[in-house]
Amino acid sequence: MARKSKILSLALTASLALSLAACGNSATNNKGDTASPDSGKTTEKVEEKVVAKDVKITFQNIYPDTTDPKNQLMKKLVTQYQTEHPNIKIELDSLNTDQQKLKLKTQAASKEVPDITIVNPSAQMKPFVEAGLFAPLNDMLDQNGLKATFQEGLLDWYSFDNNTYALPDGNNIAVVYYNKELFEKAGVQVPTTFEDMLKVVGTLKEKGITPIAIGEKDSWTGSFLFMNMLLRTNGPGFLKDVIDNKKTFEDPAFKEAVDAFKSLVAAGAFQEGATSFDYNAGENLFKTGKSAMYFMGTWATGGIEASSVNGKVGVFKFPTIGGKGDPNEFMLAPGSGFAISANSEHLQETKDFLNWFMLNFPKEAFTAKGAVGIGQIVDGDFKAAGYSDMAMEVLGLFKEVKGGDLAFDNTMNPGTAQVHLNSIQNLFVQKKDSAEVGKEHQTAYEANKK
Amino acid sequence: MNVLKVSRLTITAFVLPSLAIYFGIVFVPILVSLYSGLLDWNGIGESTFVGLDNFKNLFFNDVIFWPSVRRTFMFAVFSMAEIPIALFIAILLRRYIRKPNFLVSSYFLPVILSVVIIGQLWITIYNPASMGGMLNQILTTIGLESWTKSWLTDPAVAMYSLYFVALWQYLGYHTLIQFTGISNVPTEIYEAARIDGAEGFKADRYITLPMIIPIFKISIVLAFIGSLQAFDMVMVMTAGGPANATEVISTHMYKMSFSSMKYGYGSSIASFLVVVCLIATIIINYIFNKLEKRFS
Repeated sequence: MARKSKILSLALTASLALSLAACGNSATNNKGDTASPDSGKTTEKVEEKVVAKDVKITFQNIYPDTTDPKNQLMKKLVTQYQTEHPNIKIELDSLNTDQQKLKLKTQAASKEVPDITIVNPSAQMKPFVEAGLFAPLNDMLDQNGLKATFQEGLLDWYSFDNNTYALPDGNNIAVVYYNKELFEKAGVQVPTTFEDMLKVVGTLKEKGITPIAIGEKDSWTGSFLFMNMLLRTNGPGFLKDVIDNKKTFEDPAFKEAVDAFKSLVAAGAFQEGATSFDYNAGENLFKTGKSAMYFMGTWATGGIEASSVNGKVGVFKFPTIGGKGDPNEFMLAPGSGFAISANSEHLQETKDFLNWFMLNFPKEAFTAKGAVGIGQIVDGDFKAAGYSDMAMEVLGLFKEVKGGDLAFDNTMNPGTAQVHLNSIQNLFVQKKDSAEVGKEHQTAYEANKK
Repeated sequence: MNVLKVSRLTITAFVLPSLAIYFGIVFVPILVSLYSGLLDWNGIGESTFVGLDNFKNLFFNDVIFWPSVRRTFMFAVFSMAEIPIALFIAILLRRYIRKPNFLVSSYFLPVILSVVIIGQLWITIYNPASMGGMLNQILTTIGLESWTKSWLTDPAVAMYSLYFVALWQYLGYHTLIQFTGISNVPTEIYEAARIDGAEGFKADRYITLPMIIPIFKISIVLAFIGSLQAFDMVMVMTAGGPANATEVISTHMYKMSFSSMKYGYGSSIASFLVVVCLIATIIINYIFNKLEKRFS
């Protein structure tokens, strides 16, 4: 019965997409005779005047929040492009992350992917690429030197068989944000080992301060932290070794990470009822000065700057566990990427637009003070541009990155990832033997790997 | 019966459009999802036909499925158990309150609020005391500190906390339905009964109850089907967590179809749900037909 409404919504989305496509279709019969970018400037101008027919590009994105700098810069760039190209109309479909994921999957099921859409890197975008839904962007990356604007190696997360299928809007790492004022009040220092961290947690708790805020209702938050612990106890590449059959989830390093995580929970590090706080509610505890630490990707920097604790916040690297691990290895979070539908009615126009958009993205993000953690190289003096001390600290950490790992669901197949997320969430509410947790993972992996 | 001398063609012409629509948006999707239940499909790429493998896994290997079925049915049982209470409230309202409309509409108020609002409201009520949770603070103030719990995050109680919110929300709904039903019983019958010496609850036992059985049945069916498809409230309040402790059939189906990207497997859960709904509707109808016969 609930199923019925889902099918209905699928039918509705499909018909919506169809009608959009139909609009575009009737408006343009000039596929192929638009000026190719290599042709001479003069002919291009002439042709534009003669054959410039109306083109509508649907731009699905995850910047719905009008106070978000990315929303503002997207709108600015889109307006500018439309003014310069009067025949092109760009329709924004702004959704929040979860809705967008769901909508895209529904659209993909009926092969009606919007001209531009958003996907997550690596394992998460693989099914879409394998289904042939995205257009390779290699030719477009070579135009106007777009490829060179991206950080070295970043595009690899979005490439399959030497074809790049998406262009990332960010490249972040995971750090621990801490509230200097609360640390001072409790008389504790930034911990350099996990054992220190447990002591800090204890002291903070004695002073009645919530040590670490987390939004564990969205279970990826706990998994992200757990994976950082695994990165310390094992070093990078654990999941890859599992996929290559070199290791199993019953490996001692995995158990050690589970035990470390359990000790953190047992020490009362997280706020009470953590599993009923969603991502925003969890982050808000830190932003309102109610918790002393917050483990998150550096994309949170902008939000923290805009909150009441701005100016009191510093960052530190996740410490070593039992003397193991290199703090300069981080959880890496290549951002969500813009992909283009392989079945787009206006493939060339869409590519041209996205090329222009990405070329202008770093500059605009820099001016909008949203350039911390973007995936492209930014020219400019952050300090002089008025970025906060915390932002400068984060930028400093970026320079020390010596590799690391991706989040669990970016590396593993979705079926195993789902079991993993629940299993880690369970550690918050139930005492479970680490061997059992490992076994649970291994069983799920074997059932899902194919 | 010569009044309705309409040709079969005309009847067909008038019935066909709505039949076609009904067929298109009810039967075809059910058939499609029954079919996708037989596929190994991630919802995007190629699919392979695997016969009944999905159902085999579902019934024998899925550790989340049966507990979620149990929770769904508990949900249904609680929702149906609520209806006699709603009926009792409706009877009291009818009998003792001179202008009951205001009260009935206030009871109805939670129903018109969006589930998301209700969910957020109850999350803050259920929060731990240290996070400003109202329920726990009240318990502490009145000296029942040992009763305080993390209502939504303790796997042992989280599901009951959810049941309660749903019952709270829909009590007014069923009260309204029963109230309307009682109001439609002609007053002459009660007057006649009074002459025969049946008054108060005796009149309810012999007049109100038998007269409103059809209405009662509507409430039961609505409550049952409604709790089988319980989805939004669970998603808003716990998203099935902590660690699947509040998973119901529909949230499990959603997670399998979209988070784990096993669309075929999700469809097999959907098929199960459809079949259960059909069987339940048949059983409920059968029971009420018997009841109606006995009382009429």
